[in-house]
Amino acid sequence: MANLERGVTLRIRLLALAFVVAFVLVGWRAFSLQILQKRDWVERAERQHQKSIPLTPQRGTIFDRNGEPMALSMEVDSVYAEPRKLADRDQAARLLAPILDLPQATVRAKLGGDKGFVWLKRQVPPTVSQRVRNLKLDAVGAIKEHQRFYPNSTVGAQVLGFTGLDPKGLAGIEASYDTTLLGRGGYLVMERDALGRGIGSGEPVIEGATRGHDLHLTLDENLQYIVERELAAGVAEFNAKAGAVIVLEPSSGRILAMANQPDYNPNAVSRHKPQDWRNRAISDTFEPGSTLKVFVMAAGLNEGVVTPTQLINCEGGSWKVGGRVIHDSHPHGVLTAEEVLKVSSNIGSAKIGRMLERKRLYGYLREFGFGLKTGLELPGEENGILRDPSRWFEIDLATISFGQGVSVTPLQLAAATGAIANGGALMEPYLVEKITDGEGQVIEERQPKLVRQVVKPEVAARVTRMMETVTAEEGGTGAKARVPGFRVAGKTGTAQKVDPVTGGYSADKRIASFVGFLPADNPRLVVMVMIDEPRGQVYGGLVAAPVFARISTQAMQYLKVPPTEQLSPGETLPTVEEILAQAKKEQEAAAKEAKKAAESESEAAPEEPETVEDVLTADGSAPAAPAGPRMPDFKGMSYRQVIEVMQTSGINVSLRGHGRVIEQSPAPGAAIPYGAPVWVRLAPPGQIEAAGTGGSKG
Amino acid sequence: MFDRRLITHYDWILLLQVALVAAIGIVNLYSATAAWSGPATPIYLKQMSWFGLGLGIILLICLFDYRHLADLGYPFYGVALLMLLAVLAIGRTTMGATRWLSIGGVGLQPSEVMKVAIIVVLARYFSERATPLGFALKELWRPGLLLIAPVLLVMKQPDLGTALLLLAIGGTMALFAGIRRGTLTILGLAGIVAAWGGWFLLHDYQRRRIYTFLNPESDPLKSGYHIIQSKIAVGSGGWFGQGFRQGTQAQLSFLPERHTDFAFSVFAEEWGFTGCLVVLTLYLLIVLWGLYIARRASDRFGMYLALGVTAMLFWHIVVNLGMVIGLLPVVGVPLPLFSYGGTSMITTMTGVGLLLNVSMRRFMF
Repeated sequence: MANLERGVTLRIRLLALAFVVAFVLVGWRAFSLQILQKRDWVERAERQHQKSIPLTPQRGTIFDRNGEPMALSMEVDSVYAEPRKLADRDQAARLLAPILDLPQATVRAKLGGDKGFVWLKRQVPPTVSQRVRNLKLDAVGAIKEHQRFYPNSTVGAQVLGFTGLDPKGLAGIEASYDTTLLGRGGYLVMERDALGRGIGSGEPVIEGATRGHDLHLTLDENLQYIVERELAAGVAEFNAKAGAVIVLEPSSGRILAMANQPDYNPNAVSRHKPQDWRNRAISDTFEPGSTLKVFVMAAGLNEGVVTPTQLINCEGGSWKVGGRVIHDSHPHGVLTAEEVLKVSSNIGSAKIGRMLERKRLYGYLREFGFGLKTGLELPGEENGILRDPSRWFEIDLATISFGQGVSVTPLQLAAATGAIANGGALMEPYLVEKITDGEGQVIEERQPKLVRQVVKPEVAARVTRMMETVTAEEGGTGAKARVPGFRVAGKTGTAQKVDPVTGGYSADKRIASFVGFLPADNPRLVVMVMIDEPRGQVYGGLVAAPVFARISTQAMQYLKVPPTEQLSPGETLPTVEEILAQAKKEQEAAAKEAKKAAESESEAAPEEPETVEDVLTADGSAPAAPAGPRMPDFKGMSYRQVIEVMQTSGINVSLRGHGRVIEQSPAPGAAIPYGAPVWVRLAPPGQIEAAGTGGSKG
Repeated sequence: MFDRRLITHYDWILLLQVALVAAIGIVNLYSATAAWSGPATPIYLKQMSWFGLGLGIILLICLFDYRHLADLGYPFYGVALLMLLAVLAIGRTTMGATRWLSIGGVGLQPSEVMKVAIIVVLARYFSERATPLGFALKELWRPGLLLIAPVLLVMKQPDLGTALLLLAIGGTMALFAGIRRGTLTILGLAGIVAAWGGWFLLHDYQRRRIYTFLNPESDPLKSGYHIIQSKIAVGSGGWFGQGFRQGTQAQLSFLPERHTDFAFSVFAEEWGFTGCLVVLTLYLLIVLWGLYIARRASDRFGMYLALGVTAMLFWHIVVNLGMVIGLLPVVGVPLPLFSYGGTSMITTMTGVGLLLNVSMRRFMF
């Protein structure tokens, strides 16, 4: 038996060895296939996949915080041909060319080669593809693809970004959340395999398509609209080069609106200059000027180096420091610290900076978030410049204290101001509230994120009260930022621009800014306004503050924030309807002016645009365009039909609801003033109809 | 009666290995069939419930002492043989082969039952006859008959893969029991003659598969299709694969049978060589663990039982993997725990249950 036992052990070992050898053999074979011969096999895979044509995927929808779509994927048709199967190519080219609106020679050339598959024209309206189908050509067909569409056209354009044809996100949220939104387009399978699928069958086979996820933004479409309109008005009023506005909720860091001028229409990106695509609110850096004094003051109070009532000698308007002389715009004698902020004294602020000394001032500015990206989910955010304090000369300490020699982005300034409004706690600004899949299941949800407590709540409250004096009291620089019914805390800024040629400060180019929040006691919104190179007036208090006031007044109404203060006699609050009505009136006036300007222009260029589209092309590039096109009659149209009209006419219509159009503005046949809101409302008329339109919304 | 040692000696390690491979397999099925839509229950969920059923079977098998099986061996074998005969008479024919028996509306594959039955009956036979010198030819007629009868019946269905597997399982057990050198030579020669003669008995499609294996490129769109597509899938994997649900071969449906026999191609494409190594190692650990259980079994019957089951797992794994990576011709052998299918899952889990049973009663005499 012992002999047998030994035999058993030996045999088991032999068997184990055999097992190991077999597995090693399999492993080695896998290695040789996957590693050594990988290139060959990948090539083969690609070769056979060429018989399958990649299609554009259906990107997810981008919603605003009220669930209104800001970017969606529409179904469109693409026309293809299989030249190898085509019997009479000349005839096919002759028939197809007029339908596709392409030169016959072009179509014939596409059909020429010995290819299994060619696209003849991608993303055409359904009417065109239907006519192609009606030809009943064997080897020509149309297949559904998806096209990105922005129903609100310019609203939120720089935040949303846009996509290319493929459709990869190229800018904005579309780019930074590309993989989330993208989905998979799948493949149109042409000739397949031994199983015979896809060969000779009438209907094309699509494999592997999945829809992308949806994004829900913190943006509020209506607020965004108000902000863009007021920013555009402000930029136009002062003939400025550009402008940006950010509206955020200080308690959470949610960005409710982020607007830029000039803007662009993401439905027609190529008509706009690339610099118009820039999201200046995060990618333009500028010297903040006086707005930075707020944070110097907060730092000083938090460190206890200065008290609000402490007297500071402002040296009668000029003070020699580090071998240079710094000036105030208006000379002041001895002021309290509080008054330094109110009158925005450079010398006073420089003195507070000196009390803090380099390291501490730098530390606080860093803590407020300057010099570093905020981490917003958008591409192209800039750091700004906040140099290391070891490289500050004495004059740098002084100038940085009043906002020169540092550069910031509007977003950094808005977020830092949010920290003051939020009891000293800096919140990380964000744009994407949640991600859901096609069925509405939440995949990821964002929570507000505290970056750090920068200053004590008492200090933040004290600085808030000082900022109130800026707008409320006689002699404050921000009097024009007053909002009826609310106490506003804010700060003006006027910075000289650095001349890129000389490297010194430009003589006349300024950036006017105003950043503030309201209601001062219980801040709901931080609004940051930046106007780049205004002409005529350059001061933040005169250029940016009125824009702040107009935006804030309407925003408070829109958000139904009850007024905290008694209205002074003669002051009234506009209702939401009035806001919209007034907006319309303003735009009509603007359109009239634009028309006037156009008339004087047209003497130089008397040529009349031939089509509606031409008018819009002109409109898109220059505000001084002739009177707008006429409004078509959309009544009874489906969602998709409206969009088709939009595509052919170039009119941007904002669509609300789904079903058939029941209401529109302006009325049919009326002229569409430049920049006026054009909208249609749809409602589902019945079950049968709803099924038909449901498809177009995907 | 119930012994506490049964719990303390429970072979959690084996169960864990099996569960791990099954989990990877289910995740892989999710990917392989992601593009499928329809109202039917998703494949991966079905596989999960099969695995759950398998766990139930394991529990059931572990409840009684495997030694009782020795007495039940011959009756069990007899029933399986009868079922195989029944298949030939009244079986359900799908895709040109008659493999299924419908009993009360439930489909059953008697050839799978036979896999287990042959293990039990041969374990019984070999455990009762110890020959230090090994079996001679004339001593082998009984086990030979026990084996050849079902093999021929299964070949008749026709199901070459399963027939060869039965031979391989029985052969492994016999070899282990010991066969005299002369006898082995004679059997080897006989095998070659049988293969040569059998060639003429093979069905056309079976012959074509062997031709195809020898030269798949001769007909890439027809009979060579499976092998080539599978090799393309595996070869596209590289070191780290194309990523979960990113394997184009599988997602574009180039890969046939990607949820059953070729499930591992999907895995190899999406997880690359690294993933393959992980799964290969897990499988190797399982079969080595099976041998370890056989080595420690408390009696000879247990040892042969464990050995037979291990051989069954081993041959399934190696034949399937060999087919997927083009080392062996295409024979429809599923990969245990990885390929979708209730039959395969139940057979595998029954085997695992037997292994656990032998393992947990190793100290009971």
